[in-house]
Amino acid sequence: MKALEAQQLSKTYRKAKAPALDSLDLEIESGQIFTMLGRNGAGKTTFLRIASTQLLPTSGSVTVLGLDAVKEAKELRRRIAIAPQEAETIYPLTPRDHVLLSLRMRGVEKHEADRRAKLALEDLELAEVADTNSDWLSGGLKQRVIVAMVVRTDADLVFLDEPTIGLDPVNRRKVWEQLTRLKKAGKTIVLTTHYMDEAEALSDNLVIINKGKVMAAGTPQSVKAAVTNRSTRVDVMDRFSKSELAEYGHVVAIAGKLRVLTDADGARRLGDEAVARNATIAIAPVTLDDVFVDIVGEAEKDEDDAD
Amino acid sequence: MKTMQTKKTLRSLWAIMYYLGFTPMVRNPLFMAFVFSTPFTLLFILFVASNGTALPYGLAGALTMITTELGLFVGTDLASYKLQNRFQDIVVASPVSPLIYMFGVALSELIFGSPALLILFGLIAEQGATFGALVSCLGVVMLLWVTATSLGFFFSAYAPNTQNAFIINGFITTMLSVLPPVYYSVKVLPVWLAPLAEVIPTTEASALFQGAIGLGYSVEPVYGFAVLLAATFVMLLLVSFKMKWRES
Repeated sequence: MKALEAQQLSKTYRKAKAPALDSLDLEIESGQIFTMLGRNGAGKTTFLRIASTQLLPTSGSVTVLGLDAVKEAKELRRRIAIAPQEAETIYPLTPRDHVLLSLRMRGVEKHEADRRAKLALEDLELAEVADTNSDWLSGGLKQRVIVAMVVRTDADLVFLDEPTIGLDPVNRRKVWEQLTRLKKAGKTIVLTTHYMDEAEALSDNLVIINKGKVMAAGTPQSVKAAVTNRSTRVDVMDRFSKSELAEYGHVVAIAGKLRVLTDADGARRLGDEAVARNATIAIAPVTLDDVFVDIVGEAEKDEDDAD
Repeated sequence: MKTMQTKKTLRSLWAIMYYLGFTPMVRNPLFMAFVFSTPFTLLFILFVASNGTALPYGLAGALTMITTELGLFVGTDLASYKLQNRFQDIVVASPVSPLIYMFGVALSELIFGSPALLILFGLIAEQGATFGALVSCLGVVMLLWVTATSLGFFFSAYAPNTQNAFIINGFITTMLSVLPPVYYSVKVLPVWLAPLAEVIPTTEASALFQGAIGLGYSVEPVYGFAVLLAATFVMLLLVSFKMKWRES
């Protein structure tokens, strides 16, 4: 069953030269963790804002949980929740106050709200600071407070816009655990992130969008396979020029080294040549990060060429 | 089913009032001091400078100013919840209706102002105002509060950032509750300027307070209430057209 379906969804902001979303088609299955990847300004937040009934599209349609996000927004709002991007805690409320505010304003009874707030605070390891003024908390703790506001809402679909931004690896995993718990409870989670490892570890399905268009969609594995058609990456530190490496695969310059995305045969040939030249190389499987750079980088290059 | 929905709605309203109004007031009484500071300072200056004779004007002015401030602060709060905290995003994507959210935020602001309002009503009663006059004052406070709150909503919809919202709020408060005849009688204005002042709702509110305190009505009470009602109606109409719950 589809939890979300977008058809030809477009959004052009007033005074904007280019659309934020450009005839975007998207399907999300129920009970899955679905991730949206893209550069800053790719259209991820715009999509989330439209699907969560905060923003009107310019054209096209979005159906969420079987309800039209534009025409049936009131009914839909009973069944969704969102943790917005760059949300800040409210002074002088405590983490417990934030969670209780979120639950109580959704109509949850006091006793039940207290119980769920306790769980949410424990879920995100905020129990120790539950009654501390949120202003005194670190950025990471504040971010977890925002996530805690939605994890026990009982919404059927939860939108999270970059929920782990600014969190250390340990705390990121705490958020991941909650998303996995929600999924096990049958909820659908739609999140945006810049962290490729996060998308790879969590997503049942993902989409890479660039300039409001879908560039790739599928499971992390299928996207890697379909998009690159290259299974291996070879990082070349020295003794090769970019043009020399082009014959082995797709070459990307990254942080002072050249990365070649290639297949097993290409990696073997390049390895042999590197040994012959006494060059330093590192071989590893292709990651989602490589796919992302490949797709988005190619799109940018195509546009530059067209210009 | 309907009862259950009503209960949920009331819970929403209570939660917003409690966590955005009552809790901050208790945790940080400075919020209250902020509400008190300007109106009570002006009241004190008038009292001292006039040897107490201008106290009734000070009371009418302070009551007008606090009510106006409490309404306009709603705009600052809403801008902050929308642009800085992103709390409004969380609210929009929830069962909370725009009306309940706005009413809750407006009432939370009124909670901040309730101690100041109580003190002023006490002082007005002490000046010899009758029970009927106090009820009349309460009616004026409510009308002015709705007008000022609507104005706050209106500006919050256009504020590009919280700093601007704060600046606009301060400017409008001064323009509406210090400059016009709020702390003084409209009668002392030049003849050509008085009609201009009389269409400002705060002038009418203060004139009605002045009358209730026993200073005599500088404008016809019926006219005063009519201007206030018209202003309330116009502002509510404006807000219903311009408030953006879902952005376009």
